[in-house]
Amino acid sequence: MLLEARHLEVGYKIAGAGIFAAARVLPIVRDVSLALEPGRTLGVVGESGCGKSTLGRALIRLLAPSGGQVLWQGQDMAAMTAAELRRQRAAFQIIFQDPVAALDPRMTLGRIVSRPLATFEPGLTRAQLQARAVEALRLVGLSADFAGRYPHELSGGQAQRVGIARALIGRPKLLICDEPVSALDVSIQAQVVNLLMDLQADMGLALVFISHNLGIVRHISHEVMVMCLGRVMERSPRDAFYARPLHPYSRALMDAVPEPDPRREKGRIGRAPEGELPSVLHPPKGCVFASRCPQVQDICRGERPELRDFGKGRQVACHFVEG
Amino acid sequence: MTGEPLLSVQGLTVDFRLPAGEMRAVDGVGFDIAPGEVLGIVGESGSGKSQILFSLMGLLAANGRAAGSAQFLGQDLLALTPKALDRVRGVNLSMIFQDPMTSLNPYMRVGDQLAEGLRVHKAMGKREAWTAAVAMLTRVRIPDAANRARRYPHEFSGGMRQRVMIAMALLVRPALLLADEPTTALDVTIQAQVLDLMAEMGREIGTAILLVTHDLGVVARMCDRVLVLYGGRVMEEATAAALFETPAHPYTRGLLAATPRLTDALSVRLGTIPGTPRSGGAMLPGCPFAPRCAVKVAVCETVQPALVAPKDEYLGQIEGRRVACHLVGGAA
Repeated sequence: MLLEARHLEVGYKIAGAGIFAAARVLPIVRDVSLALEPGRTLGVVGESGCGKSTLGRALIRLLAPSGGQVLWQGQDMAAMTAAELRRQRAAFQIIFQDPVAALDPRMTLGRIVSRPLATFEPGLTRAQLQARAVEALRLVGLSADFAGRYPHELSGGQAQRVGIARALIGRPKLLICDEPVSALDVSIQAQVVNLLMDLQADMGLALVFISHNLGIVRHISHEVMVMCLGRVMERSPRDAFYARPLHPYSRALMDAVPEPDPRREKGRIGRAPEGELPSVLHPPKGCVFASRCPQVQDICRGERPELRDFGKGRQVACHFVEG
Repeated sequence: MTGEPLLSVQGLTVDFRLPAGEMRAVDGVGFDIAPGEVLGIVGESGSGKSQILFSLMGLLAANGRAAGSAQFLGQDLLALTPKALDRVRGVNLSMIFQDPMTSLNPYMRVGDQLAEGLRVHKAMGKREAWTAAVAMLTRVRIPDAANRARRYPHEFSGGMRQRVMIAMALLVRPALLLADEPTTALDVTIQAQVLDLMAEMGREIGTAILLVTHDLGVVARMCDRVLVLYGGRVMEEATAAALFETPAHPYTRGLLAATPRLTDALSVRLGTIPGTPRSGGAMLPGCPFAPRCAVKVAVCETVQPALVAPKDEYLGQIEGRRVACHLVGGAA
C-alpha cells in the first residue's frame, strides 16, 4: 500500500467560548480511514466545510493530525524525523486551487519549477537544474521557452500546469490535487484533467483528487469518498457509486448537480432539498446529514451511524441503507 | 418570438480604455427577451458576458463605454441620464451578483435594506415597507424571518445571503432581473435551492431573467433560450432544447464535449478545446474563435462570420437558431 490513513483526526485550535476560557480543538476531520495503491485515484467529494482540503493536507503532513495515523509505504509519518520527512517529500506532492497564487511572482518559471530540487537533490549544477525544469515543463505540455517567463504572463490553465510541473520535479509517487480545476474555464478544466490522467498512465502516479465537482471526480477517479462535516458518509468503487449512490447524502449531492441536458433538468426544478448544513462549530450528536435528510428517523438525530461494510469495497454510514 | 420584446438589444459594444490602448469586451451583440422569458448567456472568462449586464445596468467601470441600443419598456437604457436610469433600476430592472456581499450593506439590518427600496421607489410608509420586507424574506424561505430581518448580513450563511439578494431584487416586482453568475460561489445543494427559488419567483411575478453563467448545467435547468458568447461576440443563439440536442457552432460543440457528466457513457478522455480563452488584445479580423477552432478554414481568419439562420436543411428547421460560423451554412 502506498498511502494509508487509519482513524485520522485533524483539528484546529480555536479560542474557547468567553475571554478566559481555555482554547479548544475544533475537530475538522473525524475518524477517516483510507488506502491508496500506486497508479490509482481516490476522489474526495463534499461541500464546503466537509474537511476534504484539511484531509488532503494531513495526508502529506502539511498538518499534524490530532489522532490516528498516516502510513507512507507502511511507515508511520509521525515517527519520521523532520529531516527524513523533508527528504521523503519529493515522493508526495500537492497542487492547489488557485494556480496563480501558488507561484512566486518574482521568480522565473524555471526557477519556480526547479526550486524543490534544492531540498530533494542538493548539489545539482545550474545547468542540471535548468535541464530538469525544462523536462518537467515539457511533461505538462509547456515548451522550453516558458522557463524564462514570469507567472503574470500565464493564463490560469498554464499556471496550473506550472504548479503540476513543480510537483512532478522530484518524481513523486503521490499527488494530492486540492480542487485543481475549480478556478479554470470548462475547456481548460478538461485539458488539465486529461493531463493528470496521462501523467498517471505514464508514471504510475497515485492521485487524491479533492473536488466539489461530482462530474469531474467521476471522470478521473477509481474510488470515491463522500465527506460531510468531517466524516466519511460513503466509500465506493467509482462505477458502483455513480450507478447507485447508497447514502441519502450522496444521492442529494448527485440530484443537485445540474446536467447539460434540458429534458432531465426541467423536471428537477423545485426538488432541491430543504435546509442547510449544520455549522462546523456545533456538529450535531447524531448523523451530520439528519437535518436535511428526506428519510430521517428519530434514531438519526440521537445516534451517529457507523461506517458499515456492504461488500465489493462499499462502505456507508447510514442507519437505514441496505446493500 | 411572438409579441413585443421586453428588452431589445442591438449592436451593443463595450470598450475599455486601458494603458495599452482600447480593449473591446463586447462586439456587436444583439438579442431580444420576451416578457417572462429566461434567456441564458453562457461563455468563458473574457467572453464579455458580465459586461453585457453591467452596461445595461449602467454599472460599467469608469474606463468603460457602451454603444448601441437597448430598448426596454419604451426607453433606451444606454441613452438614459443617470437619474432616469435610477428610476428604471429601482422599479423595473434589478440585478443580482455572484457575491451577495458586494450588494448588501454590512452596516444595515437586512430588513431595513429591503424596506429601503420600497420606501424610495414605491413611496411606502416605514411600517408598511417593513411588513412587506418580512413577508418577502419568508417567501424566499428565510427561517424565522421576522427576527432574522433585524440581523446584519454577516449573520447569514452564503446561501441565505443569496436568497436575501433575490428577495431584495424581486421585492419591487421588476419586469426584468439581471443575474450575474448567481450560484457560482455556492455548494451544489444550496445552488439547487437558489435556482429553484429564482425559477419559482420569476414565474410567480412574471419577471423575465437574463442569466449569465459559465455552467451549461445551470443553463439546461433554467433557460428557455441561450446565447453562446466567445470573444465578445455571439457564436450561437438557440432554444435551450435545440442547443443541447444539436449544437451547431464548433465552440458550442467543444464546450459540451468538455463538460463532464454524471450519466453518459464514460469516455477515456474529456473533449478539449486547444489553446486558452481570449484575454484582451486587438479584435481579430475574422472569427474570434478561429485560433482555437479545430475545423477552421482560411476564410475564418480573414472574414467575420455573420450571425444568421443556418442554411443547412437539418439545423435550419429549428426555429430561432442563429449561428456565426462560415462552416454551418452561414453566409460565407
